Amino acid sequence: MSLYLYALVGRPVRRPLGRGLRGEPLRLIEASGLLVVAGRVADTPRVTRATLRRHDATVRRLAGRTDAVLPVRFGTVLDDRAALTRTLAPRASALREALALVAGHEQMTLRVYGKAATTSDESATEPSDGAGQRYLSRRLRARLAPEVDPLRLALRGLVSAERIERHERPPLLASVYHLVRRGDSKRYLATVAAASALLTGVRVTPSGPWPAYAFAPDAA
Amino acid sequence: MKKKRNISKAQQILSEADASLLDLVDHVLNKGVFIEGEVLLGLADVDLVYLRLSALLCAVDRLAKT
Repeated sequence: MSLYLYALVGRPVRRPLGRGLRGEPLRLIEASGLLVVAGRVADTPRVTRATLRRHDATVRRLAGRTDAVLPVRFGTVLDDRAALTRTLAPRASALREALALVAGHEQMTLRVYGKAATTSDESATEPSDGAGQRYLSRRLRARLAPEVDPLRLALRGLVSAERIERHERPPLLASVYHLVRRGDSKRYLATVAAASALLTGVRVTPSGPWPAYAFAPDAA
Repeated sequence: MKKKRNISKAQQILSEADASLLDLVDHVLNKGVFIEGEVLLGLADVDLVYLRLSALLCAVDRLAKT
């Protein structure tokens, strides 16, 4: 039997944890100073729509048991606790930071649809001399999804963290992942609905709230 | 030929025909904490699911690099 991993979680964790995608009882394992929720399985679950949904449902249920949940990617199976410790040890610090980031938050996702267009290059005249890394990071994000800048501006007060992926596979142009405080998802959706009228040439489809899948250290 | 059919199905998903599947696959299969120990097994299954469920661009990109 191997360990199938669902999520890293913060403290404290309320029990019972419930059962996993195969109906196996979930257990809390401490490894490298991190708390991991896992179940014992005989083999790696096959990827089907049903197993993906059950994995997601399990992670969502865990979000109701603790303030911070960092989902593990589907299909992650390790031999035992020793293997888990070895795997997590080199990344424990980054994972703790990610857990702190997602604590008290949930994720909203925007899919940006439209025709392929050249991403607008922000003006090189904008000063960049005193703003450092944060400024450069803002510029990079804007270039990744310039079509939805008005929407991103409208959402600014609700968003604690943001990740953007440019796809360039029309009609899907980009995915924007936002971390919002738990309980703010309705306000977020209402803001998207209202501010979408400001967009030209693209459509935006929101979904969520999701567990913070896109805010794992290596998810982007 | 097989690859061409797969791209065509992926395009259907990208056209919002099944946005919920796109979201599910992207989040659960393409995001989350990545543990290297299971990569090869995971990718083998992902390859199958992409032929069957005709899912997603990002992971297709990832598969193409392996």
